[in-house]
Amino acid sequence: MAFCLLYKPVLQFCEIVVNEANFVRKCIGAESCQDDLWGKLVCTNFKVSFIAHNSLPRQCTHRLLGEHDIPLACVEQVVTVNDVKGKQKILGSNQKLKFNPTELILYCKDFRIIRFRFDEAGPESAKKVCLAIAHYSHPADPQLLFGFEYVGKAYNKIYMRVNGVDPGGGLQTPLFDCSSDWDREIKRTGASEWRVCTINQGYFISPSLPEFFVVPVSLADQDLKQYACCFYSQRIPLWCWNHSSGSALVRMSNISDPQQQRKVEQRISSAITKSHPLRSDVFKSDLDKNLPNIQDIQAALLKLRQICVIDSFEESEEKWLSSLESSRWMEYVRTFLRHAVEVVYMLESRHVSVILLEKEDRDLSCVISCLVQLMCDPHCRSLHSFQGLIQKEWVMAGHRFLDRCNHLKRNDKEESPVFLLFLDCVWQLWNQYPAAFEFTEVYLTVLGDSMWVPVFSTFLFNCPRQRAEHSRDFASSKSIHLGQDQALCFPPVWDWSQQFSLKDQTLFNNPLYVGKIATCVQNGTVKTFTHRRSKVSC
Amino acid sequence: DRSSGTRVSDTELRVYKDPSKGELPLLPEEHVQDSAKDVTYICPFIGPVRGSLSVTNYRLFFRCTDREPVFGLDLPLGVLSRVEKIGAATSRGDVSYGLACKDMRNLRFVHKEPEDSLKKSVFEVLMKFAFPVSNNMSLFAFEYKQVFPENGWKVYDPLAEYKRQGLPNESWRISKVNDHYELCDSYPAALVVPVTITDEELRRVSSFRAKGRIPVLSWIHPESQAAVVRASQPMVGQNGRRCKEDEKLLQAIMDANAQSHKMFIFDARPSVNAAANKMKGGGYESEDAYQNAELVFLDIHNIHVMRESLRKLKEVVYPNIEDSHWLSNLESTHWLEHIKLILAGALRIADKVESGKTSVVVHCSDGWDRTPQLTSLALIMLDSHYRTIRGFQILLEKEWLSFGHRFQQRVGHGDKNHTDADRSPIFLQFIDCVWQMTRQFPAAFEFNEYFLITILDHLYSCLFGTFLCNSEQQRLKEEVPKHTVSLWSFVNSQLEEFVNPLYVGYPSHVLFPTVGIRHLQLWVTYYIRWNPRMRPQEPVHQRYKELLAKRAELQKRVEELQREAANRTASSSSERAGSPTRSITPVQTFV
Repeated sequence: MAFCLLYKPVLQFCEIVVNEANFVRKCIGAESCQDDLWGKLVCTNFKVSFIAHNSLPRQCTHRLLGEHDIPLACVEQVVTVNDVKGKQKILGSNQKLKFNPTELILYCKDFRIIRFRFDEAGPESAKKVCLAIAHYSHPADPQLLFGFEYVGKAYNKIYMRVNGVDPGGGLQTPLFDCSSDWDREIKRTGASEWRVCTINQGYFISPSLPEFFVVPVSLADQDLKQYACCFYSQRIPLWCWNHSSGSALVRMSNISDPQQQRKVEQRISSAITKSHPLRSDVFKSDLDKNLPNIQDIQAALLKLRQICVIDSFEESEEKWLSSLESSRWMEYVRTFLRHAVEVVYMLESRHVSVILLEKEDRDLSCVISCLVQLMCDPHCRSLHSFQGLIQKEWVMAGHRFLDRCNHLKRNDKEESPVFLLFLDCVWQLWNQYPAAFEFTEVYLTVLGDSMWVPVFSTFLFNCPRQRAEHSRDFASSKSIHLGQDQALCFPPVWDWSQQFSLKDQTLFNNPLYVGKIATCVQNGTVKTFTHRRSKVSC
Repeated sequence: DRSSGTRVSDTELRVYKDPSKGELPLLPEEHVQDSAKDVTYICPFIGPVRGSLSVTNYRLFFRCTDREPVFGLDLPLGVLSRVEKIGAATSRGDVSYGLACKDMRNLRFVHKEPEDSLKKSVFEVLMKFAFPVSNNMSLFAFEYKQVFPENGWKVYDPLAEYKRQGLPNESWRISKVNDHYELCDSYPAALVVPVTITDEELRRVSSFRAKGRIPVLSWIHPESQAAVVRASQPMVGQNGRRCKEDEKLLQAIMDANAQSHKMFIFDARPSVNAAANKMKGGGYESEDAYQNAELVFLDIHNIHVMRESLRKLKEVVYPNIEDSHWLSNLESTHWLEHIKLILAGALRIADKVESGKTSVVVHCSDGWDRTPQLTSLALIMLDSHYRTIRGFQILLEKEWLSFGHRFQQRVGHGDKNHTDADRSPIFLQFIDCVWQMTRQFPAAFEFNEYFLITILDHLYSCLFGTFLCNSEQQRLKEEVPKHTVSLWSFVNSQLEEFVNPLYVGYPSHVLFPTVGIRHLQLWVTYYIRWNPRMRPQEPVHQRYKELLAKRAELQKRVEELQREAANRTASSSSERAGSPTRSITPVQTFV
């Protein structure tokens, strides 16, 4: 598996070739074609692959992807061009193409732009491969995402563990999908007045909450069930973390019933106050009011991409800094960091508990709650705890990864790089505190790139319930016997051996890391002067 | 304590561990000249602080008395470029003084005018000692008599350095024509020139090159023999003067490199400026006169443009940063653009030499500002030796000090004439470019960021003799090496402070940095270090030292184990003569 064989795409064991075209030229340089590669363009149900004719078999460092491979989930836009007729068409799924393409341009989510020329290729096969790529990069249903095939086949063939997948067991990263992970987190943070609540087992109360979450001890299950219906999507407020002073960080969605609002809010607040050793007040931090919304964030990323890769180099080079400023991306990064600093101040210096208030509690609060914990709690800055943090505040709290990544390319309005923005915030912190984090810039880059490898449970679903439902449906439609397991065992992205060898994983370790002794890092001002989106090709 | 005394503080306000001790940490031969109580320092970040101020013959020392923890300011007087009274005395008899510094900050103090009008105010004393050259006094470097284990004046031996490069060889010789600085007073004594050119011809060339700065070798490629040659502009003038010895010299330089029948002349200036120099008798090589030579202009601006750019940068970063327009404000200073042009020029030179195997001649107008910037950066890219701590010192001694970068004029040591048009941050720009390279190649340089900052701090401090005077000749005449301490004595006596733990060498790598604006950063830890909000929040300096200790420990362990293994093999095969000695693999830090 480690060696690419000449002329043949390297396939995962459940991967099938859909279409291919020969004598395709992959454009390497922008101006001249002297470095271009000749080879075969292949579309599989997982990736777009290019097998260069005259390249030597080379050791791939990525276990799922070769040097010229692009996962279909990473393809943002498929553009076909016929430069003789002067025609151009953006292809979606199930579309027709009235001209023979001379060129295919793939715009990728990770800012790559890849061009293939079909000057020497058969016109029919060129057209077919373009249509296949367009079709397969727009899956009609989540179950058509490669992850299902990948995990599903594993049950019928060899057992997953052979391939290194061992969900939970072999990982040191807590997934927060069982009550014991939450118990440990309660103990670790000394949140003795908080308890694990199990009323959402089977997702009977709230569709977007996890099965286990943490609530004040003074709130009985019966009360919670009663309050649940007042909240948006029945999302009972979630405990995130306790500061060592006893102040708690809680995230809460809007109360949809205005008549109940005051009463429910008061009940929740007083329960949080009761759980505070000093019986301190609760501070409500309204994220929707103070932070850019998901559309703003998406618009900023599009502008950033425009100046990074689409505008001509000379043009953007001259005005680089001011264009960067006008994209507002850095400004947003700064706004999020600054807001997190304010929350830290409330927890740390004012000794009050904080409720992060957001309409749906599934986007902005994920960023803020994580940043606050990273700033205050050195524990979170180790690699495994950082992964646990993402698991807790993003995956379990129901960040809509499927919609935000727009894996199905169905609704562009829902697409937003909230998670990428979070990684950028972490990168900024990492830059200001180079010895405080166990992981490296390479790790953050690879984590960001993994969003576009649609195999991992982490980034495939909108919430734990959706994951459970889809995997159950998929299993029954394919007659997969799940045995003891309740759902298909998608590997989490934290199982890094899926993608990289142990040797390559050593690049995740920051040699400057001093361990968990470093103190609070909230005194931060964001480093707005630098923003390098360095790409590490793996 | 040697290190604490000489280390220029990188935090503006230093916290004192033991406030009860009122004594100042004085250096040898440093004496308090005057002190005043009840001075107010108007700190732009935390507001007014009251305290006492002392002036020695080396530094200004402010200790706050109304705050806990006790902290203060400690800066060498050498960093001051201007001290002036601001406005008239207030009704309460307070006078305000502004101190502009060369290291990107301004300080303001408020102080009561002494009631006895005959007594000098502490600031008048300060003015005297801050500008000793203007007051016919000697710089503190000539009084400071600290003894270090190593003598830094011995770091650079030109003949040894040329020998390292394989010189002299069959094509290049070391000429003694400038032994007494008669050919060119701003050049070093030892010059490397083609063997085919006689000293007499060199003399004729010197009359054709600005300030007599003839084309001489800086560096030679160990394999291709392509050479980096530096010079000043030819005195072509409006009539297109020619000099056949100069043409012969350049032809000889080209001939010394068998790999290429072409040569590149890099003129650092924008072509318009180069052409304008013809009016003043200067100019550039015409391609008619210099066959097979291709002239390239590198568009780097002159010292005045650079000074203005740094002034704007200071305005943007000190004291307050306008967060919402930070990037566009930074862009409007053009500082990074200038850095980019310098790096891009050096990159083209290095590329021609390495990839094109072609010899190059580099010059600007006088060949002592943009030229050393370009040659020394190209040399760092080409030769890994210059990326070591000692190699970098040799590079500075050679390309900057011996070849007469006018440090005295550009920095204005001890000179109160702050509006002097000769001042310019040329050397600072070079160090900034080096820093940019260390960012792009974090494992290729033996030194850390603190090393670069230390060099810049002592560029201004006037504690060491290294950056005094304008040329090798002047330094010899003033007997600088005899009367002052070299900065390298200080640095090399505590190398552990300056070592980059991530260094892995890359001995044969040529570094080609990416020079786009998007790959350059503002050197915040230098330019904005006085702003507490911009300071690296958690200094990694200590961590660097721990890593070095860890590496040394592991290295030792490897050696022990290897010895043990070797002994075991030896005892198990004692009948065989000689035990296998394995080469020791160095432990390297993963990066």
